[in-house]
Amino acid sequence: MKKIILLIIIAITFSSCVVVKEYEKVNINDPDMKLTNYSVDRFKTNALVYREAASGGNGGKTGGGCGCN
Amino acid sequence: MKKIFKIVFLFFTVTSFAQNDSTKVYKKRVLESTEVEFLMSYYKQNGDNASVTGGIGTEELTDITPTIVVSLPLNDDDVLTVDIGISAYTSASSSNLNPWDSSGASGGGDDDDDDDDFGYRAEGAGVEGSPWVASSGASEADTWAGGSVAYSHSSDNRNFIWTGHASFSTEYDYTSIGFGGSIAKLFNEKNTEVNIGAQVYLDTWSPKYPTELDSYLETNGNLNNGFFNGISIWDQNGSEIDKSGNNGPIWSPENYSYINDKARNSYSISVSFSQILSKRAQGAIFFDIVQQNGWLANPMQRVYFSDKENYYIGNPESIPVYTSNKNTNVFQLADDIERLPDTRIKTPIGLRFNYFINEYLSLRTYYRYYFDDWGVNSHTANIEMPIKISDKFTLYPSFRYYTQTAADYFAPYNEHLSTDQYYTSDYDLSEFDANQYGFGVSYTDIFTKAHIWKFGIKNIDLRFNQYNRSNGLSAWIVSGAIKFVMQ
Repeated sequence: MKKIILLIIIAITFSSCVVVKEYEKVNINDPDMKLTNYSVDRFKTNALVYREAASGGNGGKTGGGCGCN
Repeated sequence: MKKIFKIVFLFFTVTSFAQNDSTKVYKKRVLESTEVEFLMSYYKQNGDNASVTGGIGTEELTDITPTIVVSLPLNDDDVLTVDIGISAYTSASSSNLNPWDSSGASGGGDDDDDDDDFGYRAEGAGVEGSPWVASSGASEADTWAGGSVAYSHSSDNRNFIWTGHASFSTEYDYTSIGFGGSIAKLFNEKNTEVNIGAQVYLDTWSPKYPTELDSYLETNGNLNNGFFNGISIWDQNGSEIDKSGNNGPIWSPENYSYINDKARNSYSISVSFSQILSKRAQGAIFFDIVQQNGWLANPMQRVYFSDKENYYIGNPESIPVYTSNKNTNVFQLADDIERLPDTRIKTPIGLRFNYFINEYLSLRTYYRYYFDDWGVNSHTANIEMPIKISDKFTLYPSFRYYTQTAADYFAPYNEHLSTDQYYTSDYDLSEFDANQYGFGVSYTDIFTKAHIWKFGIKNIDLRFNQYNRSNGLSAWIVSGAIKFVMQ
């Protein structure tokens, strides 16, 4: 329950921020600001899916498709 | 008054038309032109807790993964992405599915558990193997091959995107079919994005079993037949046993049976929420719930019980040093393969926060909390600081910390009880911490001035990562990618 409340607080906090206009997003649109992994890091992530019990929670693969953990 | 209304009406009508026209004229393509990305990695690891040999033994492994990703703009709104790759690996641990191959007893290079090996072995030549020495059987090397196709469509105002994808992969003991889809909605002037997706993997084992266990069932437990014919079996004291069982106990893996469910299916739902927080900051929350059903253990992985007598094949003089890498020529007969529940529910929750410090430096952070119903809890923290050293080159130092608790069913080598329902000695399910240090460099040319045939080079990326686990496993990986844009 605590986790759900925490998530809701974070979501509300995020959504209460000021609106950044398109012409103000030059920094946000920088390739290094993307909220995803770099494509070159896919192999590193894949190796960790085999070597660790945890996976997912990163906007990518969540499990399955391999005889891994 | 009427005139004013007419003027206002006319104004909105014209404005509206103008906006529509402007949308049509200036609608930016989702992907301007075809992109081709070649990727490759080389991975190497070593450790002393191989799961195929029951939690002890060499974990040496190498893996090379050439991959190509092609993204095709089908029109202004639709993109088709095709991703094809292979992963060619050699594994000392997997090779010891049949640890006696390297002795030459099986003729080498032959299948690792076929009946046609038996006659050759029956000559009684020295049959030696060890968890600490790689074997040369068929399971020493394998190639995973896989591909996926994804199709995405964006609405005219780019505020709604749907994606569908399908995948297939195969390796010598495993095949997988996957499909799924997602929808993304952007609002609040594209400051907020909500993404919901679902994914299904329908996987199937083609199980390969440890040679001695497989042979035990094939010979109906007759240790004077098949694989065991002419081979001495030693007890813990180094004394040869009477394999007929008339003069004392014999090796008898009573828990062992073939797996009865070769399917392994995974169903997941993913929800993410991302938000621009300021002109320099943005963050995201990722939430997945994954349910897996079927054979979730690996039939290749041995388990040894503490309440069962130990029996060996090979040089009896090495039995006292069996658990050290001084042992090069004796191998313990397994008590069973690992057994795990046929369901698992995984729940990862991830948070990302990126901050643009200045034109030279950005901060990328990530945290994940994970828990599942096998008793594993984990925390992951990652920090990366891209440093732009020129308009084309960026450096990528990074650090990752990971910790997990052990699964309820894990115990080290020779510590499980035969009366347990579930057991594994796979150290990937043990308690450990891990650190990963990384460094990378990237070349980016948005004008793609350098060309190869019709393609301009957009990006070249190179990364190195060193991974150290608290239980002794260490690994490093070099990854590279080059992206071309069709001119």
